[in-house]
Amino acid sequence: MVRVQLVCSPQRLQCPAAEPPEAEKRHMETLLKNVSSTAELLAVSARSGALEQWDGHALSRAFHWARYGEHLFRRFHSDPAVRTAMEKQLQLTNQSLRAALPGYTDVSFCDLSRCQHLLLVGLLNNPELPVSIMRILFGSGSPADTEHSEYVDVTGLCSHIIQCKSACKVLSPLADSSAVGADAEVQGAMLMERLGALMGRGREARRAEHFLDSLLQGCDGASEHFCLVIAAALLTAKNSAAEGAAQDVLQDWLQKTPGVLKLTCSALSASLLAGLAKEHRKFREAYCGVLKTWASDMEYSVHEGEWVQTSTKTCMVTFQKLTEHFLALFEKCPPQRDDVERELNALKLSDGDFDVRGLSVWGDLLSALNT
Amino acid sequence: MSLLPPVIQLQQMTEEPSPNVQEIQFWLDKMVAWGRADSPNIQRDVSLHLRRLSSYLQQLLTHINNLISTTETMKRMPLLGQFLGRLCWIPYVTADDTSRGLLFQCLWGLYSEHPSNAVERKANQWIRKVLCQLATDEDDAAAQALMKPMGVPPNEYHLKVLRKMVALLQENIGKSCSSLGNINQRCSCDSILAASEACVPLATCPEAAPLIDALLQRPATCVRAALSEDFLDALSCAYSRQNLSLEEQAVFSLWHHSLSSLEVAVLSLLESVCTNTGSTPQRMLQQVSQSLLPKACAQQCSIFLVVNDIFRSTLKQAEGNECVKSLIQIFTNCFLTELALLQPQKCVSLKAFFPQSPQSLLVPLSTLPSEMPQEAWEHHLNWLSGSLQRLTEDEEEGDGDGDSSSSTSRGHHRVFEAWFLLVQCAHWVQVTVQLLGTKGPEDCGPLLWLLTFYHHPTNRGHHRALQLVHAKDAWDRLHTLFSVSTPPPFDRLQSLVTLLSPQPQQPSLSPSFILGLSVNFAVFSQQPLSGSTQVLQTVVHRSGLVEEAACALSSLELRLNAGSCSSSDANRVHLRIKSLQNTLTHMHAAWSPAESQAHTLTHTHTLNSTNHTAVSSSQDQVTSEHTNTYACSMEPC
Repeated sequence: MVRVQLVCSPQRLQCPAAEPPEAEKRHMETLLKNVSSTAELLAVSARSGALEQWDGHALSRAFHWARYGEHLFRRFHSDPAVRTAMEKQLQLTNQSLRAALPGYTDVSFCDLSRCQHLLLVGLLNNPELPVSIMRILFGSGSPADTEHSEYVDVTGLCSHIIQCKSACKVLSPLADSSAVGADAEVQGAMLMERLGALMGRGREARRAEHFLDSLLQGCDGASEHFCLVIAAALLTAKNSAAEGAAQDVLQDWLQKTPGVLKLTCSALSASLLAGLAKEHRKFREAYCGVLKTWASDMEYSVHEGEWVQTSTKTCMVTFQKLTEHFLALFEKCPPQRDDVERELNALKLSDGDFDVRGLSVWGDLLSALNT
Repeated sequence: MSLLPPVIQLQQMTEEPSPNVQEIQFWLDKMVAWGRADSPNIQRDVSLHLRRLSSYLQQLLTHINNLISTTETMKRMPLLGQFLGRLCWIPYVTADDTSRGLLFQCLWGLYSEHPSNAVERKANQWIRKVLCQLATDEDDAAAQALMKPMGVPPNEYHLKVLRKMVALLQENIGKSCSSLGNINQRCSCDSILAASEACVPLATCPEAAPLIDALLQRPATCVRAALSEDFLDALSCAYSRQNLSLEEQAVFSLWHHSLSSLEVAVLSLLESVCTNTGSTPQRMLQQVSQSLLPKACAQQCSIFLVVNDIFRSTLKQAEGNECVKSLIQIFTNCFLTELALLQPQKCVSLKAFFPQSPQSLLVPLSTLPSEMPQEAWEHHLNWLSGSLQRLTEDEEEGDGDGDSSSSTSRGHHRVFEAWFLLVQCAHWVQVTVQLLGTKGPEDCGPLLWLLTFYHHPTNRGHHRALQLVHAKDAWDRLHTLFSVSTPPPFDRLQSLVTLLSPQPQQPSLSPSFILGLSVNFAVFSQQPLSGSTQVLQTVVHRSGLVEEAACALSSLELRLNAGSCSSSDANRVHLRIKSLQNTLTHMHAAWSPAESQAHTLTHTHTLNSTNHTAVSSSQDQVTSEHTNTYACSMEPC
């Protein structure tokens, strides 16, 4: 039977700087023990019948632990040594909990970042949770800001969450002045923050690139949404040199990683892409490259009287769409027009410089752009 | 089981009319519409009906709580489950504090602690499930797929998105409109109305406050930039429940747009000041400034006019209520200070702020005593008294003619407005009483007239001449009592008591009149303090006006501190004031709670006869205040 001592609150975390090795070791032990306790708390809240005994104080202490778990994540997620130790500890804890509780789902280090949410999910899905506890969580009165105090006031916690989510839904039809949407803007800003943190002072791109790779993998069926978020990230104003560097890394990754650039260009709207091209020279060049690749992949179909894509492997783009992309680009970046037309002319020349429709995609493109 | 039917019958006899079947169908159909796609029409419908929906939910809740079991409830209202279920998923309902709270309470009402059958067990399960889903389900899987590896918990994410939306909308509103009143030209101001409608359910949402501030403070340059009436109503409602947190200028803008919210603000100031026993002038001043009303009045003339109208009607209803009169004076003083701060260079034209007051009296009365040398006070007051006397005599002459009622009512109106201005500028009345307390008997006439007019503005039954005689008589008696160096003779004190007792035949002087004179005599008199104290104690005890006496002493002290006084006399006077204040404090503490309660109640019950809740709450407050002071005084010093 797994028991969790909710009598005491997590010990105050002290600054570990400049401590003698012995103290540091003890400090580490305490940290690992706390990590373990937090995972046990999550397990207990989700499945234990001991919840029947819970009162307002027990609830508050549980959330205090959960908040502490989030604090651990924030403090140590970019500290490889401590993080690894904590991940190892969690593996051990998971093992023993799996043995004790059927159907147990592991708690990862990443999960610690949303400890309060997991606690809440566990509690609310637990049929043993007393109604009195639920009434506290769904009561009125927003929880006071008790970030730095001992007692966590959770009265109305769920009420506040629901209010927030609903308010977003109420306002979202009106907040259409954003090119990417408010949610993508927020996600883009978070991405920039994260990339900046990963790159650190030395502006190392490697960790940032690994992270982007993992995000792409994790997206699974929502890769187009990821592209939108990347666009939003690139559109966030460059407030510091660090942010500029992070945006550079992002653009480089975009070009290096197979398929992502093409996906971005086909998933997002022409005007949004043009906006991106306006802000970032690297992207502008890459974008033009993609457009030209698309054009060169096209074949004239006499049957349809139109240029169509040859390979179905690449993203679906019509000739008309291609034209729209170019036109939008020229609208936002007028100087680009001359350069592109010069290139297209050169390509048309190499194709034989015919003015008849259907013989050179470059020729037809030029005439479409100039009508 | 056989016991159940009679109990239900009893319920049927005693319960209120249950929400009928058609009404729930109406709301159910509406919820189906609201749950569909968001269109501007839905927003408008929501803002129109949200309040009614809340009242309906309240009715439902009462009904649910009256029934003994969930089974019974489900039998009577089979559509209830469906209705509540739909409500849960309509963001307009769940965003609004009131309707969300009522919805949850309805759900709890349906929860059975000890379910007795399958229906109740299923209901319990469903309630738990729906609440869990509402709090923890995440619709946007794509967003969560990114936020999870970045270590951003769902709650933090939603909060950030909400703040971002508010910021975007704020930006939109900030953009100025260039159509300049051309009604045919489209402009961005159309979105203002839509934004204000959207904010109807968000009136008490703290994250939406910046948007609401921006909407309220937007300069009304374009004819399209109107705010939704329902939006203003919702804000006004929230404001009266003190659930709003707005910037100062936004509050002023709300008062400007919504008369009812301004009325609420003024009435609650009146209530808080005048039902609180033990409020000193300093505390009153603090409450007045904190209400932000004087500042708003200085910025917007229309607000000041409304506030004064409310003061006028309060005065008319609560004749003789010294607390209201004090408040009006403190308020006006505060307002004049704010006005001077706002327009320090310009010569302020007060006419716009006091359109109904006699213009010749406006500047003389609104000038503060501190702005004039002390030696000029008496001359100034004589002039004021003379002017007011002429004004009232004109009115009485018109009365005597027995002419058309319009001229007499106009005359009455003029006198009332003159008196009201005097109440607003009662700093001169305080100076009058002070002078009467320090002068000899010569040339008291105009001052006594002024003081009598302040306390008795109406000349009912043409008693003014008689009242002036009484006033002179009272002054004489008090003057004598406060001049003797030996302890005051008993018969003289008795005559004072007679003065204070109401006489059935003659018009009696207001006890406040006598108290005011007594306080000033006691402070400035040359007689030994013990004698003065005894006389004052008699007056206070007989009239029961301990609070008022304390207030009079406090405000006298404040004025003397602010003004200039010859130093040697200043010390003597201040010592006397302190000692008298101590005496009064002991009197107050030793007072029996019942007696003082009766006295204070007579002062507060006339405040606002229609506002019954104010009276009942004030009674509770009075009792607790007095028992507290009583309890405190029992402790050893």
